[in-house]
Amino acid sequence: MRNFILFIRRFFNLILFLILEIVCIVLIEHTNTLQGNDIISSANTVSGLVYKKQSDVVYYFGLRKMNDSLLNENAFLRKQIDSLHSIDTLKDSLVHRKIYPTDTSLHIVKFADYIYRTARVINNSTNATDNYITINRGSNDGIAKNMAVISGTGIVGRVEHVSPHFASVISILSSKQKVSAKLKNGTNGYIIWDEKQPDVLIMTDVPQQEKVKKGDSVFTAVFSIFSPDILIGTVVKTEAIKKNTMQQIYLQSSTNFHNLQYVYVIENKMIMEKKKLEDSSGKK
Amino acid sequence: MNVYIKNILRFCIIILLQVLILNKINLRWWNEPSGFPVFIPYVYPLFILLLPFETPVWGLLILGFILGITVDTFMNTAGMHACAAILIAYLRTNVLSALLPRNLSEYDGLQPSIKTMGWMPFLVYSAFLIVLHHFVFFTIELWNLSNFGFLLLKVTASFLTSMLFIIVYLLLFTRQSSSRV
Repeated sequence: MRNFILFIRRFFNLILFLILEIVCIVLIEHTNTLQGNDIISSANTVSGLVYKKQSDVVYYFGLRKMNDSLLNENAFLRKQIDSLHSIDTLKDSLVHRKIYPTDTSLHIVKFADYIYRTARVINNSTNATDNYITINRGSNDGIAKNMAVISGTGIVGRVEHVSPHFASVISILSSKQKVSAKLKNGTNGYIIWDEKQPDVLIMTDVPQQEKVKKGDSVFTAVFSIFSPDILIGTVVKTEAIKKNTMQQIYLQSSTNFHNLQYVYVIENKMIMEKKKLEDSSGKK
Repeated sequence: MNVYIKNILRFCIIILLQVLILNKINLRWWNEPSGFPVFIPYVYPLFILLLPFETPVWGLLILGFILGITVDTFMNTAGMHACAAILIAYLRTNVLSALLPRNLSEYDGLQPSIKTMGWMPFLVYSAFLIVLHHFVFFTIELWNLSNFGFLLLKVTASFLTSMLFIIVYLLLFTRQSSSRV
């Protein structure tokens, strides 16, 4: 026993060093899973507050840019509304007709699918391997984990940590995150980030016979966590992979991650039901 | 000023400097697709470098852990900064005793600075530990050695700018008058 105590006294520093390093490694290991830990993240109360105070100051310098982007978005939404008005719903209501009176499968389900909540970005990073954004809304405002986050111009990321007043969002500029995407003609692929350039995304798994032109737009696919048809970016260049018959498409991200100010958090009301179904069928 | 209050103040200043100012500056040296990676300078290890000479190793380790976890909390990198900070806190005493001519216990009540050590030894001391810190941090962050060149590029670029900011910090916060604190 005495020898043991002497041993500990002699190597106390080394033992403490090793213990602390192991604590760190355990922490890193825990964040790399999807659940993560909410305490050591910028969603925690203290760091959230510091970031909020800073954002309150810096906020005023970006007002002009923000106004412009909101105007652009308004114009875009107006255009969409107008295009919806031009559809004659009475003529197109073939789906309303039931083939058999007892068959109820063909009536329109009103998917009041998505709830949009606005949030202000209070911290933002673009230079790490996994980039996070902190927003000033939390579970008190109805934000929950794994909700999708978009900006006025494109997709941003997914909510990862939530506290009562803040939430941290892992952006698509991250090695952990893949987003399903589709080309204009409906070809599916997914978006990854190469961890180098904050504006360049890569779309993979597109067959080589798809002809993709420079400047084509890429949108979110129906089965991603985002609502469908949100712009992701425009094609900069394409690159054929020799090993298989796929090609890589480099995209210019439509979201400007350097000056994100406001984002929308999308709650998909149907996603729990969908997930439950998919999980239960996956188990068998 | 009391040495404890002074170090607590320095802790706050360095954390705020790192988190609120330096983390917002995305340095890129030239702007091309597939060009240079974006990076930020890390000056917070300076807090460990500037602790008084007689701080025991366990104290350094615990302070390093607190410092690292605080930075991690702000940057959402749970444990990565702490890991690197603890390593340099552990090695600090050895590096200091290797660089200084006299025994460490003879520097009573002093702290490592350009005044007590001179420019050259202090720069070697800080450069060594900062390179180590950056190397460990970026290795953990990237976590694959397949593109080793990219890792080295990131470490070098970040290290050079970190040293630049550390020198600026030292020039700003070192008292020029002869009265020693």
